[in-house]
Amino acid sequence: MSEHDHPLQRAAARELEEAHGLSPAEAAERAARMHERLHRRFGTWVRRELIIQRREDHSEKSREVRGEERAAASGGELFERLSLNIRLQHATMAVSVIVLVITGIPLKFHASGWAKAIIGALGGPDVTPIIHRVGATGLIIAGLWHLFYIAFTREGRWNFKQLIPMPKDAVDAFKQIVYYLGRTDERPKFDRFSYVEKFDYWAVYWGMVIMIGSGTVLWFTDFWLRFVPKWFTDIAKEAHSDEALLATLAIVIWHFYNVHFNPHKFPMNRTFITGKISELEMREEHPLEYERLIQRRQNARQSARDPEPSQASRDSLPASEGGSGGHSRREGGEERREAPPQSGGRGGRR
Amino acid sequence: MRRLLALAAAFFVADLVTAQAPPPEPNGNAAAAARQCNICHGKQEFKTVRPDGSVRPLFVDEAAIRDSVHGKWQCTDCHADVDKIPHPAPLAQVNCQRCHFGGNPVGAPERINYEGYVKSVHGRLRLAGNTKAPLCQDCHGTHGIRKHTDPTSRVNKAQVPSTCGRCHVEIYADYQRSTHGQSLLTKGNLDAPSCTDCHGEHSILAPKETASDVSATNIPETCSHCHGSMAFNTKYEIPINPVKTFKHTFHGIANELGSKKVAQCASCHTAHAVLPAADPQSSVNPANIPATCGKSGCHEGANANYARGRFHIDPTNRDSGIIYWVALFFKILTISTLAALLVHILLDLVKKLRHGHAGGHHGE
Repeated sequence: MSEHDHPLQRAAARELEEAHGLSPAEAAERAARMHERLHRRFGTWVRRELIIQRREDHSEKSREVRGEERAAASGGELFERLSLNIRLQHATMAVSVIVLVITGIPLKFHASGWAKAIIGALGGPDVTPIIHRVGATGLIIAGLWHLFYIAFTREGRWNFKQLIPMPKDAVDAFKQIVYYLGRTDERPKFDRFSYVEKFDYWAVYWGMVIMIGSGTVLWFTDFWLRFVPKWFTDIAKEAHSDEALLATLAIVIWHFYNVHFNPHKFPMNRTFITGKISELEMREEHPLEYERLIQRRQNARQSARDPEPSQASRDSLPASEGGSGGHSRREGGEERREAPPQSGGRGGRR
Repeated sequence: MRRLLALAAAFFVADLVTAQAPPPEPNGNAAAAARQCNICHGKQEFKTVRPDGSVRPLFVDEAAIRDSVHGKWQCTDCHADVDKIPHPAPLAQVNCQRCHFGGNPVGAPERINYEGYVKSVHGRLRLAGNTKAPLCQDCHGTHGIRKHTDPTSRVNKAQVPSTCGRCHVEIYADYQRSTHGQSLLTKGNLDAPSCTDCHGEHSILAPKETASDVSATNIPETCSHCHGSMAFNTKYEIPINPVKTFKHTFHGIANELGSKKVAQCASCHTAHAVLPAADPQSSVNPANIPATCGKSGCHEGANANYARGRFHIDPTNRDSGIIYWVALFFKILTISTLAALLVHILLDLVKKLRHGHAGGHHGE
């Protein structure tokens, strides 16, 4: 009888027999009746307990999602991708661009109510040009800062070299599309900067040149008109207005998708604040850089064990494989022997 | 406001006083009654000498009255204070509102924008005691009032400039020289604007008043009544829509957003001496552009470079030269870039959503 075989039922029958002095037959019968109810209650209890546990798991997970613990938990080591210098450049530019867009784009849609509302709220057409020029100053500072960065810092030069478009980028783009279309499961392997990132960089470069160039003509029209004919300033006006729209749309659609609304990054890729990416992200998004990094690290470890470190291998080490300049390079060269996972990895600042 | 009330009250009281007599009615004896006045006023040589020594003719042309809109009324219907002959001089100012008020029993036109007049710059000055400011009869005339549709009426479109010009002498001179004035006064082209087409009629406000049709912020709208339509512009060989193209310049944008500092139509073309750019007298003739741009502290030190290029540019028009090509370049660049980016986003999104939920880099 399978019913008797159930441990719960057997336990109940024994209890009835021993503690309550029932006859075995009666105990078995009662136990059989009790079994179904017990089973149901037990099931309810298990379900409730499971729900509670699941909820705890979930809240623990979402807590982890915030901050670096999550990245560390899912990806191991953290890699510094954006140095403090470049993050500050980005912040300066981002704030400036937001100011410029808010005070500039309404001019392109001057006939619509929302444009009038924004300009009115900011103090009217005699005030917003001043705000716009404050934003412009910020953008010019960011632009000059960046030019100095790529010209006069080792880190900047190294990053800039990696940003130069190569034939591989066209091939990568093609491969990526093929992958998107499901023709292959193999994704192109990106180095430090994928073709998408290179496009972003050069789009901004182009935008800065056009906007600052034409904007300066418009800002100092009377000065410029001492030397150039009016049609030159007309070109500046047209270019400024058109490129403004293109840049704004590119930022809102493309950049915001890549760093905010992309399902893998939503609601926000925090790298522009922390400067770090997880090992998993590193392996998935920049496998070539990752592999090279690991290789270098092994070489470094090797040379550290060697009494005479190979000069060649140290020289070929980029200024900053992790992107944070000579400081971390020194760390990388001398100290990174065991590279504990949580120490920030190559280029990490702990 | 208090002044307005006072004025309204004054007129109301005047109304009551004059309305003591029954409302005037067409009278078969009008001719006979007029003949009585004609005893004196029918004589060409009937004049008076004012205290300042000037001579004022007192002759009244009976024929002019008979042909006027008031031909059927007696002299005393308007000059209601005449109750005996000879009457003491001078008579009170005729009050048109005796008849021209809403719901009047004698069928006098009621469309009269009396409210507008009271609030207008003319009405307010008059109320403030400026006797040079015009009353109804100063523009519409006295004995020879005719409908505005009558070409001989002082308020007929073609006559308005000379009517206004009685006081606004210099502006009238500018206007007569302008393309608008020449068209209307010399060529009799009724497409051309008279004073009232831009300034309004009874409710004329000073240009510095925001609500004025010719205030800095309203001028483009006022000019667009004619120049906003390409049918009109092509008729007069203006190849582009000057209002639409203005609105796309920084001047036009700031103007539309409410700036009173920036140049609007009249800043460059002048308010009354508007002339085609080809005319050497025009403020927008290339030779005069430096002076025009440089005036009133706008672009101090403006030089000939300010005239080198097109004005009123429509970037979508192939005739706009280099601007057309620049605009086209950016249009193509924008559309192609965004199309490529959107396709890339869409492909990426579809792939990622298909390959697992949002929120992690869990192996694909």
